[in-house]
Formats: sequence, structure tokens, C-alpha cells
Amino acid sequence: MSAQEQSRDLSFVRAINEALHSEMERDERVFIIGEDIGRRGGDFGATEGLWKRWPDRCRDTPLSEAAITGLGVGAAMAGMRPIVEIMFVDFLAECYDQVVNNMAKAHYMFGGQLKAPLVIRTLCGGGFHAGPHHSQSAEGWLMNIPGITVAGPSNPYDAKGLLIAAIRSENPILFMEHKGLYGMKGPVPATSYEVPLYKAQLKRRGRDVTVVAGLKMVNLALETAERLAEEEVDVEVIDLTTIKPWDEETVLESVRKTGRLVTLFENPKTGGPGSEISATVVEEALHTLKAPVKRVAGLDTPHAFAPVLEEYILPRQEDLVRAIWDVIDY
Amino acid sequence: MTVPNDQLLDMYRDMWRMRTLENRLEENHKQGLVPGFFHSGVGQEAALVGCAHALETTDYFFPDHRSHGLILIAGTPGEKVMAELHGRATGICGGKGGSLHMADPSVGNLGNNAIQGSIAATALGPAFAAKLRQDGRVSAVFLGDGTMGRGEVYESVNLATIWKLPVIYVCLNNLYAISLRVQDAFVPDDLADLVSGFGIERRVADGNDIEVVYETMREAIGRGRRDEGPTFIEFKTYRWQGHFGGDPDADRPAEEKRYWMEERDPVKLAGQALLERGASTEQDLVRIQQEVADEVQGWIDYALASPEPDLSAATEHVYVGLEVPGR
Repeated sequence: MSAQEQSRDLSFVRAINEALHSEMERDERVFIIGEDIGRRGGDFGATEGLWKRWPDRCRDTPLSEAAITGLGVGAAMAGMRPIVEIMFVDFLAECYDQVVNNMAKAHYMFGGQLKAPLVIRTLCGGGFHAGPHHSQSAEGWLMNIPGITVAGPSNPYDAKGLLIAAIRSENPILFMEHKGLYGMKGPVPATSYEVPLYKAQLKRRGRDVTVVAGLKMVNLALETAERLAEEEVDVEVIDLTTIKPWDEETVLESVRKTGRLVTLFENPKTGGPGSEISATVVEEALHTLKAPVKRVAGLDTPHAFAPVLEEYILPRQEDLVRAIWDVIDY
Repeated sequence: MTVPNDQLLDMYRDMWRMRTLENRLEENHKQGLVPGFFHSGVGQEAALVGCAHALETTDYFFPDHRSHGLILIAGTPGEKVMAELHGRATGICGGKGGSLHMADPSVGNLGNNAIQGSIAATALGPAFAAKLRQDGRVSAVFLGDGTMGRGEVYESVNLATIWKLPVIYVCLNNLYAISLRVQDAFVPDDLADLVSGFGIERRVADGNDIEVVYETMREAIGRGRRDEGPTFIEFKTYRWQGHFGGDPDADRPAEEKRYWMEERDPVKLAGQALLERGASTEQDLVRIQQEVADEVQGWIDYALASPEPDLSAATEHVYVGLEVPGR
């Protein structure tokens, strides 16, 4: 049976689940802790079946984000490969000290003597009318922390491969799982494979404008590109995949070709990934730009509950379409 | 509680090492040779050295804010401790950590931390690893009385207790968090009472009697090794100087300082025990002090002769396997 035949259509959450099973099977240093991940198998099924197979290495915890993240950091320094699940990225604020001051700095501040190769898996993103504390995108909070790796997939294939790569990485990783992707289906090989970290992916080739996006927004960019193709606009879509530190080379190469850049991220606009990418492109490739850079992002507001407000706050297709036309018509 | 005479003599020498290290560091800090903030551990020698003697180098530990001595006695060479504190390339962390951020995994030191309470959570990790591997190691974390105000401590104690992890919480209650008196911070007289509701095993002991410290710590380590769960120990002690080098220390009563420095001096108490037992003579103790002074001078000479870090070190070790641009 070829690898192609072994590929099945799986949902994003099943792909995550397969990655966890595969790495726990392969490496006994891997363990997972978090809230409701054991007996229940996760509130959304991501950790199903792990506790039954490895009760010692899959542990339900009390609501103690600081302690469980600290445990992950300490165990990683002691040679393990911990996976810590923080149910919603909003709760990262509860363990921010561990992330900023321990996980990110362990390798550096002790002069390279220690490493902290843990993965924090966390659900992020809006669209579920879950209000100000269950809907955020935290990449902007994390962009300014040296030593941190922030990565996240945009489809089931990448979900499995990128999570496997994250678990095997020597660096501490914040792994963002957009809750709006959990039900998305797509082909996923049954075998174990890695999607590389630190490498952006060219998801659609185009001549006229580069759209750089992350997580669920990649799919909005791809849909929009198809729609605009009917109007003779050829959009190139780059999935950043690793948001910090990000792949400058791939982005710059694309912008040098198209001469136009639109960034697309759910984060509030100020200080989000789009700002960082824009600044770098202006620094490095200003003279290849045919139009000013456009950032399509969440509004600079907290995340409102009422569906009509949430839809207005998050980037919409019409916002992206307008931005693309703006840079084309400039 | 008594330890054998030769071991007590070793402890006495190690307490002198710690005290001399701290005093010489403080002198160099005043002269501007030790950069940054400096927190001396003088006065807390029995608690820190006693615990270092009870731990094995295969165990894990996380030192606290006043732990230069603990780090030294746990096995990191004096030259490397001294060089780190002087910001030199030959320091144990290549000069990138300094006083409050020193690790030496070769002896189980996974690093101290300038954010109180943070390592109470981190210390769970090696204990969890040890439990999974069933290797009998323990994870000791050193905290101050001020740290008991941090929520992470309680999250950690709870998790260690429900999972029976081999964590030893060593709380050095020196009566002050910078200027805040412990009685103004917490209701119970014993800080160990703060964690009683979690069901953790607790001990309250004299932190200035090194034999008591050693035995208390050993008992807790034994429980951890036998998979009997964590222990919270409160050692009552006192720091002799202000919170940091240059602190005028006007808040603490003179009589209180006199009492602790004259009547409860941990090094003097151990010396008296050695004399009373006939294990040493006055001359022996003076000779030890002189030998230690020479030894510490050698570390200082080493540190001052060492180069400052190459600027390439600034961008090294941010990530494993990834370059970060310099200027």
C-alpha cells in the first residue's frame, strides 16, 4: 500500500489526536498533562484514548495553569518531553511567568547548559461567540519574547505533522490550535511524518499580491484568492506556520516577486504578527513594493460576545478583498 | 540530634566557605567588581549548607535568592561561582545568569530564579520525571517567607501532594520579606500552617542548628525516595544584613539583630558543638578559617583574571539550532 493510499480524510482534531498517540508510542519521555485531558479525552476529543493506554503519562490536573506549566518546564529540563495542554490560550495569562521567564529563558540564561523542550498546546481564536476570555489570539503577546517558538497549523495534514515536529523539537513551543479548524477535514497520512517548523509554506502561487496569513486565516486567504481569480487577480498565499521566529526569506522572496503585501491575522492589529512582517518588509524590500503594505487584522478591541459584534471585530472576507484591491489599484 | 564529628567538622568548614564567599562578594560588590544586585546569605549558613549535605548530586534542586553558598556547597566549583558573580566568561553560566540565575545540571542544580514562587512550580517537573522513571531522585526547592505570598506555591503544593511527588519545599523563614515583617504578611506563627489544608507532610525546625537541618532534610528526602510524597519544611532563621548590598537596613530592631548574630550564629553554634564534644580545638577552628580564606582568595583571583564574555555570547543559546542576529 502506498503512502497515498494510507491517507484518509480526517478532521483536524483527529489529526492532532493521531500525532499525540504516535509520539507517546514512539518516545516514553513524552507525557501530557492538562485539564480534562485524561478520563474525558479532552473537552473536544483531542486527547481521546491516551489515558487508557498510558495512565501514568496522561494526567488530569486541577485548574492550576502555573503549576502544570512549571511542571512541564522542570520536567523538560530534567530530560522529559512534556506536552502541557492549556485549554484556552486566554488562560496563558495564568502561567505567563512560566512561559516568559522560565520556558523561554532556560536555555539562554544558564549559558546553554539546560534545554526546555516542551510543547504547550492551546486552543485559540474566535468565531464561537465565546466572549472576551475564550476567543483571543495571543501571538502578539508572545512575539516579543526571545526564545519562544509560536507555531500553528491551518489544516489537518499540517496539524499532525507540525505537532509531531513540535514534540520532537529541542526548543520550547507554543502550539496554537485554532478552535475554528477542529472540524475541518482533509487528507492525513496514517504514517508518522513531520511538517517542518520555522519554514513558511507557499500554499498558493500567484503573481499580483502576496497574502501572508496564519492559522485559520490561511483558509480565508485561499478562499478569497479563488474568488479574486475570477476577477483576474492572482493572489499568492503564504502560510507562516511558525509565527515566531518567522521565515523572513520566504516572505521576502514572494514580496520581491509580487511587489505587494497584505498580512492577515486574527490578532488585534497593534503589535500583532502583521506589524512585525510589515516592518521587516519595509526595512528589507521597500524598493520592490508597488504599493504600501496593508495589515488586515482583528480590531484593537477586546473580543466582544454578541455574534454581530464578534463578526465585525474579526477580519472578514470583505476586509481582505478591499485590502487586496487597495494595493492593486494604488 | 547529632551527626558524626568528622561530618560536623566538614559542615563547619562548608559554612565558613559560604560565609567567606558571601562576605568577599559583598566587598567586591561595594567596589563595583560584582555587577548588579547582590543578596547575601550570611546568617543562613546552617539551613543552606545542611540541606546541601543531605542532598545527593543525583537529586535535583532549585536554589533561592540567597543561595550562593548552597550552589557552592552542592558541588559547583568555587571558581565558577565566583566568576559567574563577577560576570566573567568562565562563570558556571558563562556570565549570562549572575547571582539570581545560576544552574549547574552536573550537580542537579536546575537554576534559581529572581521571581519568587516561580520555581515552586518548576520543581514539580523533575519530581514528576523521577516518579515516572522510578529512579528515587527528589526535587528540592528553596523558598523564602515572602514567597509564601505567591499563588504558585499553593498550586504546586497541591499538585505534589495529590500525585505524591518527591518534592521537598524548603522554606527559609528569615522573618522579613525585604522590609515586610512576616507577622504583617501572614496570620499563622508557623508558615508551614499555611499549607496544612493540602494534606502535605510538614515540619518546622530550627534553621540555625545545622544538625537539626541536616536530619530534618534527610528525613524528608527519605520520604521522597520511598515514594511517600512531598514534605514542606519551614526553617526559622535570620539574615544578618539588609535585603541587598547597599540596603541601609534601618527597619529591623537592633536588639533583634544582636540576638540572632550573637546568640544564634549558626557557624559559631557548630564550632561550639565541636569544641564541647572534644572533636576540635580552638586552633583547629582558626586553622580552618584561615584555609578557607586562602581558598576563597584563590577563587577571586581566578574570577578577576578571567575574561569578560565575548559579545558573540549575547546571541548564543536563544534557541537550539537557530541563529539570532547580532548588531
